[in-house]
Amino acid sequence: MANKIIELRNITKSFDGQVVLDNISLDIYDNEFLTLLGPSGCGKTTLLRLIGGFETPDAGDILFMGQRINDLPPHKRNVNTVFQRYALFPHLNVFDNVAFALRERKVPRQEIDQRVEEMLSLVALTGFEHRSVTRLSGGQQQRVAIARALVGRPRVLLLDEPLAALDLKLRKDMQQELKKIQKATGITFVFVTHDQEEALSMSDTIVVISEGRIQQIGASQDVYNEPKNAFVADFIGESNIVDGVMRQDRSVSFSGQTFVCVDEGFAPNEPVDVVVRPEDVDIVPPEAGMLRGVVTSVTFMGVHYEVIVDIGGFKWMIQTTDFVDVDEHIGLVIEPDAIHIMKKSEYSGLYGDYASFSNEFDELSDAESEADE
Amino acid sequence: MKRASKIFTALMFIFLFAPIAILLLFSFNEARSLSVFSGFSLKWYRELLRDTETLKTVRNTLVLAVCAAGVSTVMGTAAAVGIHRMRSRYLRSALDMVTNIPMINPDIITGISMMLMFVFVSRLLGLANSLSFVTLLIAHITFCLPYVILQVLPKLRQMDASLPEAAMDLGCTPWGAFWKVELPELMPAIVTGMIMAFTLSLDDFVISYFTTGTGFQTLPIRIYNMTKKTVTPDMYALATLIFFVILALLLLSNLTDSEDGQKVRAARRAKRAAGRRAPMSPRTRRILYAGGGTLALAALAASLIFAVTETDDRPPVLNVYNWGEYISDGSEGSMDVVKEFESWYRQQYGRPVQVNYTTFASNEDMYAKLSSGAVSYDVIIPSDYMIARMIAEDMLLPLDFDNIPNAQYISDDFRGLYYDPDNAYSVPYAYGVVGVIYNANVVDQADTGTWDLLWNEKYAGQILQFNNSRDAFGTAMYRAGLDVNADDHGPWDRALDDLLEQRSVVRSYVMDEVYNMMESGEAAVAPYYAGDYFTMLDAQADTVDLRFYYPEPTNFYIDAMCIPSCCQNKELAETFINFMLSEGPAIANAEYTYYASPNTLVYENQAYIDYMGQEAMDILYPDWGGFTEKYNAYAYRNLPFDTLNYINSLWETLKIN
Repeated sequence: MANKIIELRNITKSFDGQVVLDNISLDIYDNEFLTLLGPSGCGKTTLLRLIGGFETPDAGDILFMGQRINDLPPHKRNVNTVFQRYALFPHLNVFDNVAFALRERKVPRQEIDQRVEEMLSLVALTGFEHRSVTRLSGGQQQRVAIARALVGRPRVLLLDEPLAALDLKLRKDMQQELKKIQKATGITFVFVTHDQEEALSMSDTIVVISEGRIQQIGASQDVYNEPKNAFVADFIGESNIVDGVMRQDRSVSFSGQTFVCVDEGFAPNEPVDVVVRPEDVDIVPPEAGMLRGVVTSVTFMGVHYEVIVDIGGFKWMIQTTDFVDVDEHIGLVIEPDAIHIMKKSEYSGLYGDYASFSNEFDELSDAESEADE
Repeated sequence: MKRASKIFTALMFIFLFAPIAILLLFSFNEARSLSVFSGFSLKWYRELLRDTETLKTVRNTLVLAVCAAGVSTVMGTAAAVGIHRMRSRYLRSALDMVTNIPMINPDIITGISMMLMFVFVSRLLGLANSLSFVTLLIAHITFCLPYVILQVLPKLRQMDASLPEAAMDLGCTPWGAFWKVELPELMPAIVTGMIMAFTLSLDDFVISYFTTGTGFQTLPIRIYNMTKKTVTPDMYALATLIFFVILALLLLSNLTDSEDGQKVRAARRAKRAAGRRAPMSPRTRRILYAGGGTLALAALAASLIFAVTETDDRPPVLNVYNWGEYISDGSEGSMDVVKEFESWYRQQYGRPVQVNYTTFASNEDMYAKLSSGAVSYDVIIPSDYMIARMIAEDMLLPLDFDNIPNAQYISDDFRGLYYDPDNAYSVPYAYGVVGVIYNANVVDQADTGTWDLLWNEKYAGQILQFNNSRDAFGTAMYRAGLDVNADDHGPWDRALDDLLEQRSVVRSYVMDEVYNMMESGEAAVAPYYAGDYFTMLDAQADTVDLRFYYPEPTNFYIDAMCIPSCCQNKELAETFINFMLSEGPAIANAEYTYYASPNTLVYENQAYIDYMGQEAMDILYPDWGGFTEKYNAYAYRNLPFDTLNYINSLWETLKIN
């Protein structure tokens, strides 16, 4: 892969005695779209602020192109930030906001005009130069913020949940557009979000963070298909996570049955967490199923139904396009490559049971903003 | 319902603005009176422009307000930013509360405590004059500061905390971020805070009263001290002008602060953009800001230096402390005695002198200020009983009459008076005698001549009585032939009975209100001083014909020039006293105050006699037939403390029953 731009070495940070980041090590490469993904309060914004220079680590080092920059103030770092609520300067118009960084650097006037125009056309705001930023829509403000941060041609752009305040449709468009801008400029993006779908669709690399620790680093597909532990499996997409025992290589028992799988390298009879994605389960007549259960709820989701099935007291979620009825007895078939085996971790047993599942509950954990302090 | 609320609103506005409307109206009054409007005139505005002493206090007040507002705005903004950035929540809210204390603290407590502090500190530093412009400025900054913080802090809390971070992110230093992003955002709040500080400083009386020094008097203090006579109508003109200036400031601050203002500016911006004119770049704007800021700072510094040199001791300084409106000040074409002295001195001695002329409202005010040790004066003009007290307390210096040759012109009547029997400490300046003023269109000539007129049931409801115990009891005691300086309770009890009997015929107990009530004919009989009678005569309504007589016996008072023991330049003080006794200034003062002068150069001067008129001369200078004896027998003296207390308790009885 390309050059390392930023290296974080064993970073620890606490506020008022509460550990927010616990021994974080991370490499960020040139031209990469890297996403810090985690629930509210997991420390991802703090991590971003450390890179931006707004916080200093209690322990550990931050390296920028090989140089230690722990104590370098923000204005001396070749890094720019798009803030969560944009932080546009209300007393300046669109042009002056975007030109701010260039004027700070005493760039000649003509070049300023040219580069600002360039940026405004990149974010499709040509013609808005003299508009007051307080009279722009949320999406437009977002674009100004991006143009303002990019105009100085930083090596790294930090984005702190930049899309959180936009509505769904606009958010989808902006996701596309951000990705496009990143490709076009070749600047490294470090993107903070708690929205796993956003992370999956945009990122080259996803860093899953929980409770101040990195849970997994990997490409989108890897993180989705091969989550390292129950937290990652649950946080990224829907997962049925059940206790299992690895009989031998490529053979695992759970829910009272033994299944063929593709995983190897576990000790014989090692207790493990078994992950089965809801979309990887096929519904068959009860007599044909590897597992049998009773349907307890069916929710129509548009493209598919979300079916909750009670199998021996454990509630499974299954996404299917076939309609089944509540109280119907059904059988389930799981292919070997749909079974993913994970080592036991501190998160085992906390996630993956849909017994308490409800839509409201899901929304609650999807809070719009987070307070990292 | 709708109509009712409209009426209510209208009433509310009348209630709020009627006093100002009346003030405005009477500032254009041709006559001096507040009760009779005799025609439109700009006379009092012209008068105001000629009143150099008042204009000086106006300038003082403005300089003070500008300095106080400027300094407290800078300090308050810095403090607000500091408080806002504190990490500890407890410390933050504690500081928040502490800064609010001066705001809810009664002014009088702030004033007294600041004065004590200044006196204490300057004693430690060994300074003679502990109160000065600087102390006044510090006091004003102290009480303005919380208001600025109160304006700026909420704005800071509203502001997106990531704004300065964004600026730093884009290459600003922390200072740069503050100047370029935070400050412009805070500007409306800062401006509002500054205007508030300015008006508060302009407005303040109580704190200034305690903390101002010898040379620096503000307008509110000057107006307060005008109670020796009545407030002159040029003050109405001044108040009207101030009202409109404040109103304009208020409108301006609302305009910059309000939605409307923002809309106006947005519209202007849009227009500019449509006109394809290049928008003002932040650099240009920065230059403008910087230019404006520098100008403001320069003005501030200049006014500070100006004000400081004003009170600086470079040329010899003479601090004179006198009653309000008790010296000829150049108004209505008169001589400006203070200025005259300064130029005379320069001519005589070839070097400049500077007179700091400040005023007090009562002997007790003056005594309190002097005995606090916070100030030092060179010449004071207290009344007789106060002189006696100050001599007893070693607060006066004996005069060196070699430096005051003009003292020889003081009439022999004024030698050997009880308060200064050896004529060692004082030179009489003016004197007054209590008489009875009456409206000849109402009162029968036959009923006049004695104190009985004040008890005459024929004029029930038209008689005024003094609203202070000593003077009111005095009228009753003179009438009954009692000793007004009696120590025992008997005579006072007797007098109370008479006053209780009089109450049924008395319209009201008054002090300064006497002017308007007599001028307008609302009351027909009142005891007051001869000098004040002439003031009323000037302003009496067409239907009123005021006359004056002295009942026998009656009260005399004498105000005399003295040098307090805190004097810094005794020879200069004596030179000033001598100058005051010389013909020109003495006549000017007598003509200005309308009080009788003990100076033969005055009352034997033909020009003065012509100016006053024979009738006035007869009233001011009657043949007393033994002035000294009468004065020593009948003038009020200092009473022992418990006698005064007893009189006051009797006075309460009279006022409550």
